[in-house]
Parts: sequence; structure tokens; C-alpha cells
Amino acid sequence: MRAATTVGGALGTALIGFYIGVGLTAVMRQVFGYDYFERDLSVTIGYVFGVIGWLMGIGMWGAWGREWFGLKTYGQGAKGWQRYFSFNTDHKVIGIQYMVTFAIVFLLAGLLAMLIRAELATSGLQFFTRSQYNSVMSLHGILMISVAVAMVVGGLGNYCIPLLIGADDMAFPRLNALTYWLVPPTAFMLLATPFMGGLEAGWTSYPPLSVLTETAQTFFNLAIITFGLVSILGGLNFVVTIMFMRAPGMTWGRLPMFVWAMFVTAWLAMLYTQGFFVALLMVTLDRLAGLSFFNAAEGGDPLLYQHVFWFYSHPAVYIMVLPGLGIALEVIGHFSRRPMFAYRYAVGAFVGILGLSGVVWAHHMFTSGIPNYFHAPFLVMTEMISIPTGLIFLAALGTIWQGKLWLRTPMLFALAVIFNFACGGVTGIFLADVPTDIHLQDTYFVVAHFHYTIVGGEIFALFAGIYYWFPKMTGRMYNEKLAKLHFWWMFIGFNVTFFTMHWPGIQGMNRRVADFPASLNAVNLFVSISAFFLGASFLVFVYNMLNSWIRGPVAEANPWGARTLEWQTSSPPPLENFDSPPTVVGHPYDYGVPGSQHSTFGGLGAAPAGGGGGAGGGGGGG
Amino acid sequence: MTRHFVTVALLWAALTAGGEALAFLNMFPTVGSKEAEDFDQIFRTLLFMGIPVFTFVIAVLAYAMLAFRSRTGDETGPNIRGTGMAPKIWLAVTSGLAVLTMIYPGLTGLANLQGDRNGYAWGTATPELTIQVRGARWYWAFVYPDGIQLALATDKQAELVLPVDTVIKFEINSDDVVHSFWISAFRMKIDAIPGRTTSMIVQPTEIGDYLQDDAYRVQCAELCGLDHSLMRFPVKVVSKADYAKWEASQPKQSGGK
Repeated sequence: MRAATTVGGALGTALIGFYIGVGLTAVMRQVFGYDYFERDLSVTIGYVFGVIGWLMGIGMWGAWGREWFGLKTYGQGAKGWQRYFSFNTDHKVIGIQYMVTFAIVFLLAGLLAMLIRAELATSGLQFFTRSQYNSVMSLHGILMISVAVAMVVGGLGNYCIPLLIGADDMAFPRLNALTYWLVPPTAFMLLATPFMGGLEAGWTSYPPLSVLTETAQTFFNLAIITFGLVSILGGLNFVVTIMFMRAPGMTWGRLPMFVWAMFVTAWLAMLYTQGFFVALLMVTLDRLAGLSFFNAAEGGDPLLYQHVFWFYSHPAVYIMVLPGLGIALEVIGHFSRRPMFAYRYAVGAFVGILGLSGVVWAHHMFTSGIPNYFHAPFLVMTEMISIPTGLIFLAALGTIWQGKLWLRTPMLFALAVIFNFACGGVTGIFLADVPTDIHLQDTYFVVAHFHYTIVGGEIFALFAGIYYWFPKMTGRMYNEKLAKLHFWWMFIGFNVTFFTMHWPGIQGMNRRVADFPASLNAVNLFVSISAFFLGASFLVFVYNMLNSWIRGPVAEANPWGARTLEWQTSSPPPLENFDSPPTVVGHPYDYGVPGSQHSTFGGLGAAPAGGGGGAGGGGGGG
Repeated sequence: MTRHFVTVALLWAALTAGGEALAFLNMFPTVGSKEAEDFDQIFRTLLFMGIPVFTFVIAVLAYAMLAFRSRTGDETGPNIRGTGMAPKIWLAVTSGLAVLTMIYPGLTGLANLQGDRNGYAWGTATPELTIQVRGARWYWAFVYPDGIQLALATDKQAELVLPVDTVIKFEINSDDVVHSFWISAFRMKIDAIPGRTTSMIVQPTEIGDYLQDDAYRVQCAELCGLDHSLMRFPVKVVSKADYAKWEASQPKQSGGK
């Protein structure tokens, strides 16, 4: 009896699970004399069983669950394109699953941004009601957060990390597949919210509003709790993979920058995501079980949530940005054609940010009514982060200095990351500084600032990575002219939109409002028009990607002449990544150094026998 | 080699000169209080310090893209690995800048805003007028010392009347969800939270009226649900004499809290 391994079958098992949960709830409620169905409670219990049904149906039962009961597991049946719709443990398949899923989410959330800008083009209400505006704004926020958290880490990270370190897969391939297949339930619950009463508490979901609201907040909570699992388990997998699966000779001092960035990011995701998870679990319990974590009248404290929430959500900013900076340094390292400048300082910077990011959370709460003595340490810690960040700029600027810059599209995007992040960094000082933050907190200045860091720092790097690894992933080359058009269009659109957006913030336009004083009409109209211009640039990207993936020219194994391991195998790589196990013998970025080599293949050095199953053997520590 | 450094330094200087002009732009809303003067000055200082950092990055990026460009990926650059003094100097300079920014205008500015170590409060001056503020979905209710009660709600024509040149303390809490009490002409805000009283002290220095200038408004700055966008109410700062007249004209409720 073969378990269902298609998406359709899994939908069936998910529904069965859902009805089991709803039914159990109904029975218990009936025993105590309540109504059979109470939406939020029934949906929550149903959802838990539904997700289990979904996972089992998609193939987790066949590929994994059976062995818990001493049964023989099935191999991975699906071939060709069907792999992408099944429980597949190949990190390359999972990487592409993440990329495509979140590319769709990105475009959808971008569309919501266009709707927001259309509403904000002038004061007064245009075509949304206030509740619709709150829904659209909240959904734009949380969908983009999910893209920012998962697209680089789950997509590019999954695809590239094992290749970059010379491994044949991630350390826990089945766990890897599990994390991806938790994404569809997350997306389903978030996309269901507009039809279940909308959202009104924003992606930050501060209680008491998120507890009192009668909108689809519970759906949101369940989605985020699931998504938290994705992030925590994914983080664990990357940490173990990078620690124990490196090819022989791949010492810590020879790791490519993207791997270092992902290593630090994975620690952040594993350690801190629990904050978001727990914060929303507490909101859910307040809502469903009448607990009073956040109910001041019964001894709770609304500010507790903000602490727990930002305890994750500040490190989350680095979960988004560090892989972005890693990609930027990676691409700059290869396209500058000279050894990386101050490699060790850049690594130290990543590790320093890992340490500092956990002790700056309260800078999001300077006007929240935290005790006075709490401000000064967080002001100091926050501004201290500029020191390691400065070292990343040192490595980037030092590497391009006197290099031989090959300005292909990935390089342009990577250089734009440095430009944008410098702007985002400077405006960050105004928000880290308490006296200026009091006025700027919760205004469009903040909106402009975080779009500069997250879009400017990470999404630009994401595009650098997509263009850089596109030939490796698809085996085809993208169209360079269209890619450059996309770059300049997006770069100009982005900067005009978001640089201007600081202005209404200083002038006193606050975030998350559907309406604003008429004196801000002109600047908002300008921002809206530039935002539409920015939005249109992605059409070029989508066309280029789809067209090149289907009928682009076949790519060589190493179109960039890059030294790292992923380019030393075919495009796309075979199932086990390398035909013969690689041995690392030198630094990845030593372009132009006579006699320097990054890797050798086939037998030189002591490749551990088998190379497949367990430990791929790590290089020495230190 | 030297040529590169000189050119990029000149480019940096030019960009910085242009950029610093920004710091002299008047980009702020109306200055209505002493706190607003402080904010504007600190903001300018930070801008003045931040612009050279940003222009440095732009100068190096722009120059490198022009001067170190290669048409193909075949050429390679020099083997400079940054293991010498350069990163150490960079680290020292950036650390120095960071510490400077922390102390001035950061911590020094903060010290001017904080009195009691354990309070939830902005401002150190001794208040001459204390107004109780209660936030709720979607209105603000005010109680003045002599029992004058005032509510600003979406369906009412009312304005918050304040005397100029007076140290005013707002003691703020909330009935239901988190709100934030913000008057942008004063550059001051603090959240209204159920279960704890936060406060902020402002010293209005200019007479002003929402009808002429929308910087004089109480704006809710923390998302509070459906009508969050509408929690935007007029403020009127009047002369002390006018304030006394207004005070006398208002009905008073003894013991009104």
C-alpha cells in the first residue's frame, strides 16, 4: 500500500487530519455542553492534525515515518519535474522549491505594496476601507518578512551551501525536506486571512490588540508558529552541515564568505526564532484559553510581548541581512579578480554581529515605556554594531580597490548592496540614538530605513545570488542585457522611492495609516509614482528568468571563471554533486596568485571512503 | 597608486561638500517646543557626522567602477590581502566614530531627557501643569488639574488646548490596547500602555493651531486597530492669558478622574 505522494493526495490527508481535529474538539465541547464549533479553537486543533496529515501525505510517511514502526521506507519515486512536487531530500531540489515558492510570494507581496501605494497616493481613502487597508498592510509585512527570512536561507542556502563546502547533501536531508513542506501550510494560513476577517495588528501583532481583535489573528499565529519551526529546524541543519560536512581541507579559514554568513545566520535562526514562536504561542493561549500573559487587569503585562518578540525580531533582521552581505562579499570576491581584502576581519565581523545582535532588541522599544535606565545600554550596544558592520564595508571596498572589476549583473547587484546598506546604516544611527528616535519612531523614516537595509541589503543581494547561480541551477544562461536593464531600473526606482520616503517621516507621517494630513499629498504622490516604477522593474526580471530557464543558451560548468567548488562540477550538478570527491587545498578568492589552487578532485589528499553516507570529514578546526 | 588615492579623496571631498549642504536644509516640521529645538539640533549633528561616511562609500564605489573596470574576466589584480596596518587603522577609526556618536549626541542627549532612573518618562523639568491622558479605541480623554475634562474623538469637534511657555507633563495610560501619544510639533511621543503610567514633559515655546499647521496634532503612533488612521486630533497652543480664559470657560467636575 503506497502512501499518497502527490500534492493532491496530501491535500486529502490534510483534510482528513483537519476534520479529525475539528471532530475531537466538537466531541469534547459537546460533552461539556458548549457549541460544537468555535472558529478559532476548532481551526487551531484542526490545523495541528491537518499539518500532520499533510506532511504524512506528501511523503514523509513513506520516506521517513514508516521506519518509526519498523517498516521499510520507500525510495524517492518521482523523477523529472515531479520531484519538485514531492517529499524529495536532494538539497538542490529543495533549494529550487524554496526559490520558486518564495519568488511567487515575493511578487504577490509586491503587488500588495503597489495597492498600499495606490491608497497612499493622496490623503483620504481612495478605494480601501480602513479595515481592508490594515489587512493589506499587515499581509504585505508578514509575507515580505517570510520572503526575507526564507528565500536566501532556504533557497540559495540550501542549493549552494553543500556545493560550496564540497558535501553531497545537507546533514539531515529528510529534516530538510520536512522544513520545506511546512511552508505550504504557512502560506495557506496567511493567504486565508483576507477571507477569514482580515488582519489588523500588523506583522508585529502587539497585544492587547492581537488578543482582543476579532480578525483572523489566530490564522496568522498558527502560520507563524509553523514558520518558526521551518526556521529553527533549518538553522539546526545548516549549523550541523557546515560544522561536520566540509570537504577535506576546507578549514574554517578557507570557507567562502557566503558559507560563513550562512553559518552565523543559522545560529541566529536556531537560537532566536523561538522568541517569535513563543510570543505568538502566548498570544494564541491568551486568545483561545483565556490566559493572561498580556492582560494587565489580571496581572499580565503587554510589554512582555514586545520584549520576547523583539528578542527574536531584532536578530531576525540579521537573519535577513547577513546572508545578503555574505552573497555580496562572495560575488565581489569573485568578480574583483584579486584576493579578498581583510578576509579574517570580515569573518570576525560576522561573528561579532552574531554576538551583538542578541543584546540590542530594546532599541525597538525606546518609546514603549520601558524603564529609563534601560535606554542607555541599548543605545550603546546598538551603535556598537556599526563597528563589525564597518569591517564588512572594509572587506568589500578593500577588495574592489585596484581589482579588475568584471561588471556583470551579479557584481552590479553586489555593489548596489554596499551602496544601499551604507545608506541604511547611516539612517540607522538616527534610530539608535534615543533623542532622535523619540520623534522618528513609528514614522515613515523607519519604513524608509528598514527598506534600505532589508530590500537594499538583502533583496538586492538575493538578485545578485540569483543571477550568479542561475546558470548553475538551471544549466542555462540568463539574458545579460535584460538583466542589466532590470538592475538599473530597480536600483534607480528603489533609491528614488525610499530615499524620498525619509522626508514624510521627518515631517510627521506615521506608519500603518490609511490616511494622512493633506499637507503631505505631494511627497506621497511622488513616492507612489516611483514605487510603481520600481514595481514594474520586476516584470523584466520575471520575463528574463522564465524565458532563459526555458530557452536560454546552455551554460558551461563555470561561466564566471570562479574558483569555488560549485563551479567545478557540471551545471546543474549531478545528484551527488561531484563526480569525484573534492579536496580543498587553498583559499577561495586567491585570483592571480601564482600557483594558487582552491581545490583538487579525484584522489589527491585523503578523501574519506564512501563520501556518501555519514560524515564527509571536516577540515581541522580553528 | 597615489593618483588613485588622490582622485578618490577629491571625489569624496566634493561629494561631502554637496552632501553636507543637506544638513542645512530645513526639513523639519514646525518647531513648537524646547524639545523640538533639541531634536532638530541633534538630528542635524548626526546628519553632519553621517554624510561623510555615506559619501566615502559612494566615492570608493563610483571610482572603482570607473577606474578598475575590466571588460573581460581574464585579468587579475594585485595580491593585497589586508593583513597589515590598514584594517587596524580602519577598525580604530570606525570604533572611534562609533564611541563618539554614542557619547555625543547620544548619551548626552539622553541624559537631558531622563530624570528618575526607574520612571517611564521623558523630560526632567519640574512640571507646572500636569494633564492626565487616557488612550482608548479610538479617542483620547484628558483630565486637567482643576477637573476640566476633555475628550478628543473621531465624532467630536474638540481640540487639546495648552498654554505656551509652560512646563507641561502628560501622564498617560490606556484603557484597552497600546496607543502612542505623539505631537510632532513637540517631537515627543511615548506609548500609552494598559497597566502602567508613562509620562512625557514638553515645554511649548510657540503659539500654534492645527488649523494653520498640522504639526500641531495629537497623532496615535502605535497601530491600534480599525480607526488607527483617524486618531489624529487638533492641538492649540495659546498664550497664558488665553489659556486662563479658556480654563475659566470650561465646566469643571470636582474630583473628576
